[in-house]
Amino acid sequence: MLRIIFKKQHQVQVLIMKYLQALKMTQESFVLALEMCLGDDKACVDFDVLTDETHRFESHADDVREEIKTLMYGKILLPESREDLMRLLDGIDHIPRYMEIVLNIIKTQRLAIPDFLVGDIRELVSASLEACGLMSLQVEDLFKRKGRIKELVSVIDLKESQCDKIERRLISSIFDSNLDGFQKMQLKELVIYLGDISDQVDIISKQINIMNLKRRV
Amino acid sequence: MFSLMGGVFLGWALGANDASNVIGPAVSTKMLRFRTAAAVAALFVLAGALLQGSSGVHTLSGLTGMGLTRAVISSVAAAAAVTIMTILRLPVSSSQAVVGAILGIGFFNRQVNFSGLGKVVVCWVGTPVGGAIAAVLVYKVVAFLYNRVNLPMVPSDGFLRIGILAAGAYGAYALGANNVANVTAVFVGAEHLSMTLALLVGGLSIGLGIVTFGRPVMNTVGSRLVQLDSFSAFVVLLAEALTVHFYTFMGVPVSTSQAIVGAVLGIGLLKGTSTVSRKTLIGILFGWFLTPVVAGCISLAGAAIYL
Repeated sequence: MLRIIFKKQHQVQVLIMKYLQALKMTQESFVLALEMCLGDDKACVDFDVLTDETHRFESHADDVREEIKTLMYGKILLPESREDLMRLLDGIDHIPRYMEIVLNIIKTQRLAIPDFLVGDIRELVSASLEACGLMSLQVEDLFKRKGRIKELVSVIDLKESQCDKIERRLISSIFDSNLDGFQKMQLKELVIYLGDISDQVDIISKQINIMNLKRRV
Repeated sequence: MFSLMGGVFLGWALGANDASNVIGPAVSTKMLRFRTAAAVAALFVLAGALLQGSSGVHTLSGLTGMGLTRAVISSVAAAAAVTIMTILRLPVSSSQAVVGAILGIGFFNRQVNFSGLGKVVVCWVGTPVGGAIAAVLVYKVVAFLYNRVNLPMVPSDGFLRIGILAAGAYGAYALGANNVANVTAVFVGAEHLSMTLALLVGGLSIGLGIVTFGRPVMNTVGSRLVQLDSFSAFVVLLAEALTVHFYTFMGVPVSTSQAIVGAVLGIGLLKGTSTVSRKTLIGILFGWFLTPVVAGCISLAGAAIYL
Protein backbone atom coordinates (compact mmCIF):
# COMPACT_ATOMS: atom_id res chain seq x y z
CA MET A 1 0.00 0.00 0.00
CA LEU A 2 2.70 2.45 1.08
CA ARG A 3 4.72 1.56 -2.02
CA ILE A 4 1.79 2.58 -4.21
CA ILE A 5 1.39 5.92 -2.41
CA PHE A 6 5.13 6.62 -2.37
CA LYS A 7 5.93 5.12 -5.76
CA LYS A 8 8.48 7.77 -6.72
CA GLN A 9 10.15 7.70 -3.31
CA HIS A 10 10.48 3.94 -3.66
CA GLN A 11 11.95 4.49 -7.12
CA VAL A 12 14.74 6.57 -5.53
CA GLN A 13 15.50 3.66 -3.23
CA VAL A 14 15.60 1.22 -6.18
CA LEU A 15 17.92 3.54 -8.11
CA ILE A 16 20.28 3.92 -5.17
CA MET A 17 20.57 0.12 -4.97
CA LYS A 18 21.25 0.16 -8.71
CA TYR A 19 23.93 2.79 -8.15
CA LEU A 20 25.58 0.64 -5.47
CA GLN A 21 25.54 -2.29 -7.91
CA ALA A 22 27.23 -0.10 -10.57
CA LEU A 23 29.79 0.93 -7.96
CA LYS A 24 30.49 -2.72 -7.18
CA MET A 25 30.99 -3.51 -10.89
CA THR A 26 33.41 -0.57 -11.16
CA GLN A 27 35.37 -1.89 -8.18
CA GLU A 28 35.54 -5.41 -9.62
CA SER A 29 36.69 -4.14 -12.99
CA PHE A 30 39.25 -1.87 -11.27
CA VAL A 31 40.74 -4.80 -9.35
CA LEU A 32 40.92 -6.94 -12.50
CA ALA A 33 42.64 -4.13 -14.42
CA LEU A 34 45.09 -3.42 -11.60
CA GLU A 35 45.88 -7.11 -11.21
CA MET A 36 47.01 -7.14 -14.84
CA CYS A 37 49.86 -4.89 -13.81
CA LEU A 38 50.60 -6.56 -10.49
CA GLY A 39 50.92 -10.13 -11.78
CA ASP A 40 54.26 -11.93 -12.09
CA ASP A 41 54.85 -11.06 -15.75
CA LYS A 42 53.49 -7.49 -15.39
CA ALA A 43 52.63 -7.67 -19.05
CA CYS A 44 49.49 -5.61 -18.49
CA VAL A 45 47.69 -7.75 -21.10
CA ASP A 46 44.10 -6.52 -21.54
CA PHE A 47 44.86 -3.65 -19.17
CA ASP A 48 43.55 -1.06 -21.62
CA VAL A 49 40.42 -3.09 -22.27
CA LEU A 50 39.74 -3.43 -18.54
CA THR A 51 40.50 0.25 -17.94
CA ASP A 52 37.96 1.15 -20.60
CA GLU A 53 35.50 -1.24 -19.00
CA THR A 54 36.08 0.38 -15.61
CA HIS A 55 35.38 3.74 -17.24
CA ARG A 56 32.15 2.37 -18.73
CA PHE A 57 30.97 1.11 -15.33
CA GLU A 58 31.92 4.42 -13.76
CA SER A 59 29.97 6.28 -16.47
CA HIS A 60 27.01 4.00 -15.88
CA ALA A 61 27.18 4.79 -12.14
CA ASP A 62 27.26 8.49 -13.08
CA ASP A 63 24.17 8.05 -15.25
CA VAL A 64 22.29 6.36 -12.41
CA ARG A 65 23.41 9.13 -10.04
CA GLU A 66 22.09 11.78 -12.43
CA GLU A 67 18.82 9.84 -12.75
CA ILE A 68 18.47 9.86 -8.95
CA LYS A 69 19.22 13.58 -8.81
CA THR A 70 16.70 14.37 -11.54
CA LEU A 71 14.08 12.35 -9.70
CA MET A 72 14.85 14.12 -6.44
CA TYR A 73 14.72 17.57 -8.04
CA GLY A 74 11.13 16.68 -8.87
CA LYS A 75 10.37 17.33 -5.18
CA ILE A 76 10.61 13.68 -4.17
CA LEU A 77 11.52 13.32 -0.47
CA LEU A 78 11.74 16.06 2.13
CA PRO A 79 14.33 18.81 1.57
CA GLU A 80 16.56 17.53 4.42
CA SER A 81 16.60 14.02 2.97
CA ARG A 82 17.13 15.35 -0.54
CA GLU A 83 20.09 17.43 0.58
CA ASP A 84 21.58 14.52 2.56
CA LEU A 85 21.22 12.10 -0.34
CA MET A 86 22.68 14.55 -2.87
CA ARG A 87 25.71 15.06 -0.61
CA LEU A 88 26.01 11.32 -0.07
CA LEU A 89 25.92 10.54 -3.80
CA ASP A 90 28.44 13.28 -4.57
CA GLY A 91 30.69 11.86 -1.85
CA ILE A 92 30.42 8.28 -3.12
CA ASP A 93 31.12 9.48 -6.65
CA HIS A 94 34.71 10.31 -5.63
CA ILE A 95 35.46 6.60 -5.08
CA PRO A 96 35.10 5.33 -8.69
CA ARG A 97 36.77 8.56 -9.80
CA TYR A 98 39.87 7.75 -7.70
CA MET A 99 39.89 4.24 -9.16
CA GLU A 100 39.79 5.63 -12.67
CA ILE A 101 42.58 8.09 -11.85
CA VAL A 102 44.77 5.24 -10.57
CA LEU A 103 44.24 3.25 -13.76
CA ASN A 104 44.81 6.34 -15.92
CA ILE A 105 48.09 7.11 -14.13
CA ILE A 106 49.30 3.61 -14.94
CA LYS A 107 48.00 3.82 -18.50
CA THR A 108 49.05 7.31 -19.55
CA GLN A 109 52.36 7.45 -17.65
CA ARG A 110 53.31 3.88 -18.65
CA LEU A 111 53.95 3.22 -14.99
CA ALA A 112 55.49 -0.10 -14.04
CA ILE A 113 54.91 -1.20 -10.46
CA PRO A 114 58.10 -2.59 -8.90
CA ASP A 115 57.94 -6.06 -7.28
CA PHE A 116 58.72 -4.81 -3.78
CA LEU A 117 55.51 -2.73 -3.77
CA VAL A 118 53.11 -5.34 -5.16
CA GLY A 119 52.28 -7.03 -1.84
CA ASP A 120 51.49 -3.81 -0.02
CA ILE A 121 49.52 -2.41 -2.96
CA ARG A 122 47.41 -5.57 -3.08
CA GLU A 123 46.84 -5.29 0.67
CA LEU A 124 45.92 -1.59 0.35
CA VAL A 125 43.48 -2.23 -2.49
CA SER A 126 41.94 -5.19 -0.71
CA ALA A 127 41.40 -3.27 2.55
CA SER A 128 40.05 -0.24 0.67
CA LEU A 129 37.56 -2.33 -1.27
CA GLU A 130 36.49 -4.14 1.89
CA ALA A 131 35.77 -0.73 3.40
CA CYS A 132 33.80 0.15 0.23
CA GLY A 133 31.70 -2.98 0.65
CA LEU A 134 30.95 -2.12 4.26
CA MET A 135 29.99 1.42 3.22
CA SER A 136 27.54 -0.03 0.70
CA LEU A 137 25.98 -2.04 3.54
CA GLN A 138 25.60 1.19 5.50
CA VAL A 139 23.80 2.83 2.57
CA GLU A 140 21.47 -0.17 2.33
CA ASP A 141 20.83 0.11 6.06
CA LEU A 142 19.66 3.70 5.61
CA PHE A 143 16.82 2.34 3.50
CA LYS A 144 16.18 -0.96 5.22
CA ARG A 145 17.02 -0.17 8.85
CA LYS A 146 18.97 -3.23 9.96
CA GLY A 147 20.66 -1.26 12.71
CA ARG A 148 24.27 -1.83 11.66
CA ILE A 149 25.23 1.71 10.67
CA LYS A 150 26.93 2.76 13.92
CA GLU A 151 28.69 -0.56 14.32
CA LEU A 152 30.01 -0.36 10.74
CA VAL A 153 31.41 3.14 11.32
CA SER A 154 33.94 1.66 13.78
CA VAL A 155 34.84 -1.22 11.46
CA ILE A 156 35.36 1.16 8.51
CA ASP A 157 37.38 3.49 10.73
CA LEU A 158 39.69 0.59 11.59
CA LYS A 159 40.01 -0.32 7.91
CA GLU A 160 40.87 3.29 7.09
CA SER A 161 43.58 3.33 9.78
CA GLN A 162 44.94 0.08 8.37
CA CYS A 163 45.00 1.63 4.88
CA ASP A 164 46.78 4.74 6.22
CA LYS A 165 49.49 2.56 7.73
CA ILE A 166 49.95 0.63 4.46
CA GLU A 167 50.00 3.91 2.54
CA ARG A 168 52.75 5.32 4.78
CA ARG A 169 54.67 2.07 4.53
CA LEU A 170 54.42 2.14 0.75
CA ILE A 171 55.62 5.73 0.50
CA SER A 172 58.56 4.96 2.82
CA SER A 173 59.43 1.92 0.69
CA ILE A 174 59.29 4.02 -2.47
CA PHE A 175 61.64 6.67 -1.08
CA ASP A 176 63.97 4.10 0.50
CA SER A 177 64.39 2.37 -2.86
CA ASN A 178 66.93 3.02 -5.60
CA LEU A 179 64.31 4.07 -8.11
CA ASP A 180 64.97 7.32 -9.93
CA GLY A 181 63.39 10.46 -8.51
CA PHE A 182 60.81 10.84 -11.25
CA GLN A 183 59.53 7.27 -10.83
CA LYS A 184 59.37 7.80 -7.07
CA MET A 185 57.08 10.80 -7.59
CA GLN A 186 54.90 8.85 -10.01
CA LEU A 187 54.52 5.94 -7.59
CA LYS A 188 53.89 8.26 -4.67
CA GLU A 189 51.06 9.89 -6.61
CA LEU A 190 49.60 6.46 -7.39
CA VAL A 191 49.75 5.38 -3.73
CA ILE A 192 48.17 8.62 -2.54
CA TYR A 193 45.21 8.15 -4.90
CA LEU A 194 44.85 4.53 -3.74
CA GLY A 195 44.87 5.76 -0.13
CA ASP A 196 42.24 8.38 -0.96
CA ILE A 197 39.72 5.59 -1.59
CA SER A 198 39.60 4.46 2.05
CA ASP A 199 39.81 8.08 3.30
CA GLN A 200 36.75 8.92 1.24
CA VAL A 201 34.92 5.78 2.40
CA ASP A 202 35.59 6.80 6.01
CA ILE A 203 34.21 10.30 5.38
CA ILE A 204 31.07 8.87 3.77
CA SER A 205 30.63 6.30 6.53
CA LYS A 206 30.56 9.07 9.15
CA GLN A 207 28.23 11.11 6.96
CA ILE A 208 25.81 8.15 6.77
CA ASN A 209 25.95 7.81 10.55
CA ILE A 210 25.01 11.49 10.95
CA MET A 211 22.19 11.10 8.41
CA ASN A 212 20.93 8.18 10.46
CA LEU A 213 21.19 10.08 13.76
CA LYS A 214 19.39 13.09 12.26
CA ARG A 215 16.42 10.84 11.58
CA ARG A 216 15.89 10.45 15.32
CA VAL A 217 14.17 13.34 17.06
CA MET B 1 -25.16 43.33 -1.08
CA PHE B 2 -22.56 46.11 -1.32
CA SER B 3 -22.41 46.29 2.46
CA LEU B 4 -21.32 42.66 2.54
CA MET B 5 -18.14 43.61 0.70
CA GLY B 6 -16.76 44.79 4.05
CA GLY B 7 -17.10 41.23 5.36
CA VAL B 8 -15.61 39.76 2.20
CA PHE B 9 -12.67 42.20 2.48
CA LEU B 10 -12.11 41.09 6.06
CA GLY B 11 -12.33 37.42 5.12
CA TRP B 12 -9.86 37.98 2.31
CA ALA B 13 -7.44 39.84 4.63
CA LEU B 14 -7.76 37.12 7.27
CA GLY B 15 -7.13 34.36 4.75
CA ALA B 16 -4.11 36.19 3.32
CA ASN B 17 -2.57 36.72 6.77
CA ASP B 18 -3.36 33.27 8.11
CA ALA B 19 -2.44 31.22 5.02
CA SER B 20 1.12 30.79 6.24
CA ASN B 21 -0.18 29.26 9.46
CA VAL B 22 -1.70 26.31 7.67
CA ILE B 23 0.25 25.86 4.44
CA GLY B 24 3.54 27.60 5.25
CA PRO B 25 5.46 24.44 6.19
CA ALA B 26 4.19 22.40 3.22
CA VAL B 27 5.15 25.21 0.82
CA SER B 28 8.43 26.28 2.44
CA THR B 29 9.62 22.64 2.57
CA LYS B 30 8.71 22.49 -1.15
CA MET B 31 6.42 19.53 -0.68
CA LEU B 32 3.59 21.28 -2.47
CA ARG B 33 3.34 24.14 -4.91
CA PHE B 34 1.80 27.24 -3.38
CA ARG B 35 -1.27 27.06 -5.62
CA THR B 36 -2.02 23.43 -4.82
CA ALA B 37 -1.52 23.94 -1.09
CA ALA B 38 -3.63 27.11 -1.14
CA ALA B 39 -6.45 25.38 -3.03
CA VAL B 40 -6.50 22.46 -0.57
CA ALA B 41 -6.42 24.87 2.39
CA ALA B 42 -9.27 26.94 0.91
CA LEU B 43 -11.43 23.82 0.60
CA PHE B 44 -10.79 22.78 4.19
CA VAL B 45 -11.41 26.33 5.45
CA LEU B 46 -14.79 26.28 3.74
CA ALA B 47 -15.59 22.85 5.21
CA GLY B 48 -14.59 24.03 8.70
CA ALA B 49 -16.65 27.21 8.38
CA LEU B 50 -19.78 25.38 7.23
CA LEU B 51 -19.56 22.46 9.63
CA GLN B 52 -18.36 24.04 12.86
CA GLY B 53 -18.34 27.82 12.43
CA SER B 54 -21.65 28.66 14.04
CA SER B 55 -20.65 28.63 17.73
CA GLY B 56 -18.02 31.36 17.23
CA VAL B 57 -20.51 33.43 15.26
CA HIS B 58 -22.92 33.22 18.21
CA THR B 59 -20.22 34.45 20.62
CA LEU B 60 -19.07 37.41 18.53
CA SER B 61 -22.51 38.50 17.32
CA GLY B 62 -23.57 38.81 20.95
CA LEU B 63 -20.56 40.93 21.91
CA THR B 64 -22.08 44.19 20.79
CA GLY B 65 -25.36 45.03 19.16
CA MET B 66 -24.70 47.04 16.02
CA GLY B 67 -26.50 47.97 12.85
CA LEU B 68 -25.40 47.32 9.29
CA THR B 69 -23.38 50.52 8.82
CA ARG B 70 -21.47 49.87 12.02
CA ALA B 71 -20.88 46.24 10.95
CA VAL B 72 -19.41 47.41 7.64
CA ILE B 73 -17.20 50.02 9.32
CA SER B 74 -15.84 47.50 11.82
CA SER B 75 -15.19 44.89 9.10
CA VAL B 76 -13.39 47.33 6.83
CA ALA B 77 -11.37 48.70 9.76
CA ALA B 78 -10.31 45.21 10.86
CA ALA B 79 -9.55 44.19 7.27
CA ALA B 80 -7.45 47.31 6.70
CA ALA B 81 -5.48 46.70 9.92
CA VAL B 82 -4.82 43.05 9.01
CA THR B 83 -3.85 43.95 5.43
CA ILE B 84 -1.35 46.52 6.72
CA MET B 85 0.18 43.82 8.93
CA THR B 86 0.23 41.37 6.02
CA ILE B 87 2.12 43.88 3.90
CA LEU B 88 4.53 44.25 6.85
CA ARG B 89 4.80 40.41 6.74
CA LEU B 90 3.60 40.09 10.32
CA PRO B 91 1.34 37.19 11.34
CA VAL B 92 -1.35 38.85 13.41
CA SER B 93 -4.65 38.03 15.00
CA SER B 94 -7.68 38.84 12.89
CA SER B 95 -9.76 38.15 15.98
CA GLN B 96 -7.97 40.96 17.79
CA ALA B 97 -8.46 43.22 14.79
CA VAL B 98 -12.19 42.49 14.73
CA VAL B 99 -12.59 42.90 18.47
CA GLY B 100 -10.52 46.10 18.31
CA ALA B 101 -12.74 47.42 15.50
CA ILE B 102 -15.95 46.43 17.31
CA LEU B 103 -14.69 48.12 20.48
CA GLY B 104 -13.81 51.23 18.48
CA ILE B 105 -17.41 51.55 17.37
CA GLY B 106 -18.62 50.44 20.78
CA PHE B 107 -16.64 53.25 22.39
CA PHE B 108 -18.02 55.72 19.89
CA ASN B 109 -21.56 54.63 20.76
CA ARG B 110 -20.80 53.91 24.42
CA GLN B 111 -22.35 50.47 23.90
CA VAL B 112 -19.59 48.00 24.82
CA ASN B 113 -20.66 44.72 26.43
CA PHE B 114 -17.64 43.98 28.64
CA SER B 115 -19.04 40.69 30.00
CA GLY B 116 -18.41 38.88 26.70
CA LEU B 117 -15.06 40.60 26.22
CA GLY B 118 -13.49 38.97 29.30
CA LYS B 119 -13.81 35.47 27.81
CA VAL B 120 -12.27 36.66 24.54
CA VAL B 121 -9.30 38.42 26.20
CA VAL B 122 -8.55 35.40 28.42
CA CYS B 123 -8.49 33.26 25.29
CA TRP B 124 -6.12 35.70 23.56
CA VAL B 125 -3.57 35.10 26.30
CA GLY B 126 -4.43 31.43 26.41
CA THR B 127 -3.95 30.87 22.68
CA PRO B 128 -0.17 31.30 22.37
CA VAL B 129 0.37 29.70 25.77
CA GLY B 130 -1.92 26.84 24.76
CA GLY B 131 -0.10 26.54 21.43
CA ALA B 132 3.26 26.30 23.23
CA ILE B 133 1.99 23.70 25.73
CA ALA B 134 0.30 21.67 22.97
CA ALA B 135 3.51 21.76 20.89
CA VAL B 136 5.64 20.50 23.77
CA LEU B 137 3.18 17.70 24.58
CA VAL B 138 2.64 16.69 20.95
CA TYR B 139 6.41 16.79 20.33
CA LYS B 140 7.16 14.55 23.31
CA VAL B 141 4.48 11.99 22.45
CA VAL B 142 5.05 11.87 18.68
CA ALA B 143 8.86 11.89 19.06
CA PHE B 144 8.66 8.95 21.48
CA LEU B 145 6.54 6.93 19.03
CA TYR B 146 8.57 8.04 16.00
CA ASN B 147 11.86 7.00 17.60
CA ARG B 148 10.38 3.75 18.84
CA VAL B 149 9.12 2.76 15.39
CA ASN B 150 12.49 3.88 13.93
CA LEU B 151 11.41 4.02 10.30
CA PRO B 152 13.96 3.84 7.47
CA MET B 153 14.51 6.91 5.31
CA VAL B 154 11.76 6.55 2.68
CA PRO B 155 8.85 5.55 4.97
CA SER B 156 10.01 8.14 7.51
CA ASP B 157 9.84 10.81 4.81
CA GLY B 158 6.45 9.53 3.75
CA PHE B 159 5.13 9.71 7.30
CA LEU B 160 6.29 13.32 7.69
CA ARG B 161 4.95 14.37 4.29
CA ILE B 162 1.52 12.92 5.01
CA GLY B 163 1.69 14.30 8.56
CA ILE B 164 2.44 17.85 7.39
CA LEU B 165 -0.28 17.74 4.73
CA ALA B 166 -2.86 16.23 7.10
CA ALA B 167 -2.00 18.64 9.93
CA GLY B 168 -2.12 21.56 7.46
CA ALA B 169 -5.55 20.43 6.23
CA TYR B 170 -6.73 20.03 9.83
CA GLY B 171 -5.33 23.48 10.62
CA ALA B 172 -7.22 24.93 7.64
CA TYR B 173 -10.40 23.24 8.86
CA ALA B 174 -9.88 24.65 12.37
CA LEU B 175 -9.13 28.09 10.86
CA GLY B 176 -12.39 28.06 8.94
CA ALA B 177 -14.39 26.72 11.90
CA ASN B 178 -12.92 29.20 14.35
CA ASN B 179 -12.31 32.36 12.37
CA VAL B 180 -15.37 32.58 10.17
CA ALA B 181 -17.01 34.33 13.11
CA ASN B 182 -14.54 37.20 12.77
CA VAL B 183 -15.65 37.75 9.20
CA THR B 184 -19.41 37.61 9.25
CA ALA B 185 -20.57 37.52 12.89
CA VAL B 186 -21.25 41.26 12.86
CA PHE B 187 -23.59 40.80 9.88
CA VAL B 188 -25.44 38.04 11.72
CA GLY B 189 -25.61 40.32 14.76
CA ALA B 190 -27.02 43.08 12.54
CA GLU B 191 -29.52 40.53 11.17
CA HIS B 192 -28.25 41.18 7.66
CA LEU B 193 -27.23 37.56 7.00
CA SER B 194 -28.60 34.17 7.96
CA MET B 195 -26.21 31.85 9.79
CA THR B 196 -25.72 29.51 6.80
CA LEU B 197 -25.09 32.34 4.36
CA ALA B 198 -22.72 33.99 6.83
CA LEU B 199 -20.71 30.79 7.15
CA LEU B 200 -20.61 30.31 3.36
CA VAL B 201 -19.55 33.89 2.59
CA GLY B 202 -17.02 33.85 5.42
CA GLY B 203 -15.51 30.52 4.37
CA LEU B 204 -15.30 31.50 0.70
CA SER B 205 -13.72 34.89 1.37
CA ILE B 206 -11.08 33.41 3.71
CA GLY B 207 -10.31 30.84 1.03
CA LEU B 208 -10.01 33.61 -1.55
CA GLY B 209 -7.49 35.43 0.66
CA ILE B 210 -5.37 32.30 1.04
CA VAL B 211 -5.28 31.67 -2.70
CA THR B 212 -4.70 35.24 -3.90
CA PHE B 213 -2.50 36.95 -1.26
CA GLY B 214 -1.21 34.19 1.00
CA ARG B 215 2.48 34.47 0.13
CA PRO B 216 3.80 37.57 1.99
CA VAL B 217 3.67 36.24 5.57
CA MET B 218 4.72 32.72 4.49
CA ASN B 219 8.34 32.85 5.65
CA THR B 220 7.98 34.89 8.85
CA VAL B 221 6.77 32.02 11.01
CA GLY B 222 8.20 29.10 9.05
CA SER B 223 11.80 30.20 8.84
CA ARG B 224 12.51 33.65 10.28
CA LEU B 225 11.25 33.03 13.83
CA VAL B 226 12.73 29.55 14.24
CA GLN B 227 14.31 27.37 11.56
CA LEU B 228 12.01 24.35 11.54
CA ASP B 229 12.92 20.86 10.42
CA SER B 230 10.16 18.74 8.88
CA PHE B 231 9.34 16.88 12.10
CA SER B 232 9.02 20.13 14.07
CA ALA B 233 6.94 21.66 11.29
CA PHE B 234 4.53 18.73 11.55
CA VAL B 235 4.34 19.08 15.34
CA VAL B 236 3.81 22.85 15.13
CA LEU B 237 0.97 22.48 12.63
CA LEU B 238 -0.72 19.76 14.64
CA ALA B 239 -0.38 21.71 17.90
CA GLU B 240 -1.76 24.83 16.24
CA ALA B 241 -4.73 22.96 14.77
CA LEU B 242 -5.50 21.25 18.10
CA THR B 243 -5.31 24.55 19.98
CA VAL B 244 -7.55 26.43 17.56
CA HIS B 245 -10.00 23.54 17.37
CA PHE B 246 -10.15 23.43 21.16
CA TYR B 247 -11.24 27.08 21.21
CA THR B 248 -13.75 26.37 18.44
CA PHE B 249 -15.50 23.96 20.81
CA MET B 250 -15.52 26.74 23.41
CA GLY B 251 -17.11 29.05 20.84
CA VAL B 252 -14.34 31.63 21.01
CA PRO B 253 -12.65 32.90 17.86
CA VAL B 254 -8.89 32.91 18.41
CA SER B 255 -5.89 33.56 16.24
CA THR B 256 -4.17 30.80 14.29
CA SER B 257 -1.18 33.17 14.13
CA GLN B 258 -0.99 33.32 17.91
CA ALA B 259 -1.48 29.56 18.19
CA ILE B 260 1.25 28.80 15.68
CA VAL B 261 3.69 31.36 17.06
CA GLY B 262 3.09 29.87 20.52
CA ALA B 263 3.69 26.38 19.09
CA VAL B 264 6.86 27.49 17.29
CA LEU B 265 8.13 29.07 20.50
CA GLY B 266 7.28 25.88 22.39
CA ILE B 267 9.49 23.94 19.97
CA GLY B 268 12.12 26.67 20.23
CA LEU B 269 12.13 26.30 24.03
CA LEU B 270 12.42 22.51 23.74
CA LYS B 271 15.38 22.82 21.41
CA GLY B 272 17.01 25.76 23.18
CA THR B 273 16.06 29.44 23.13
CA SER B 274 19.10 30.30 21.02
CA THR B 275 17.19 28.95 18.00
CA VAL B 276 14.52 31.65 18.38
CA SER B 277 15.05 34.95 16.53
CA ARG B 278 14.36 37.63 19.14
CA LYS B 279 14.15 40.35 16.50
CA THR B 280 11.39 38.51 14.63
CA LEU B 281 9.61 37.65 17.88
CA ILE B 282 9.61 41.28 19.04
CA GLY B 283 8.27 42.31 15.62
CA ILE B 284 5.46 39.77 15.91
CA LEU B 285 4.56 40.81 19.48
CA PHE B 286 4.56 44.45 18.39
CA GLY B 287 2.21 43.51 15.54
CA TRP B 288 -0.12 41.77 18.01
CA PHE B 289 -0.28 44.87 20.18
CA LEU B 290 -0.68 47.19 17.22
CA THR B 291 -3.41 45.29 15.33
CA PRO B 292 -6.40 45.87 17.68
CA VAL B 293 -5.22 49.43 18.34
CA VAL B 294 -4.99 50.25 14.61
CA ALA B 295 -8.30 48.50 13.88
CA GLY B 296 -9.95 50.34 16.80
CA CYS B 297 -8.63 53.72 15.63
CA ILE B 298 -9.74 53.13 12.03
CA SER B 299 -13.22 52.06 13.08
CA LEU B 300 -13.46 54.98 15.52
CA ALA B 301 -12.50 57.35 12.70
CA GLY B 302 -14.95 55.60 10.36
CA ALA B 303 -17.70 55.88 12.94
CA ALA B 304 -16.93 59.55 13.44
CA ILE B 305 -17.22 60.15 9.68
CA TYR B 306 -20.20 57.98 8.77
CA LEU B 307 -22.33 57.85 11.92
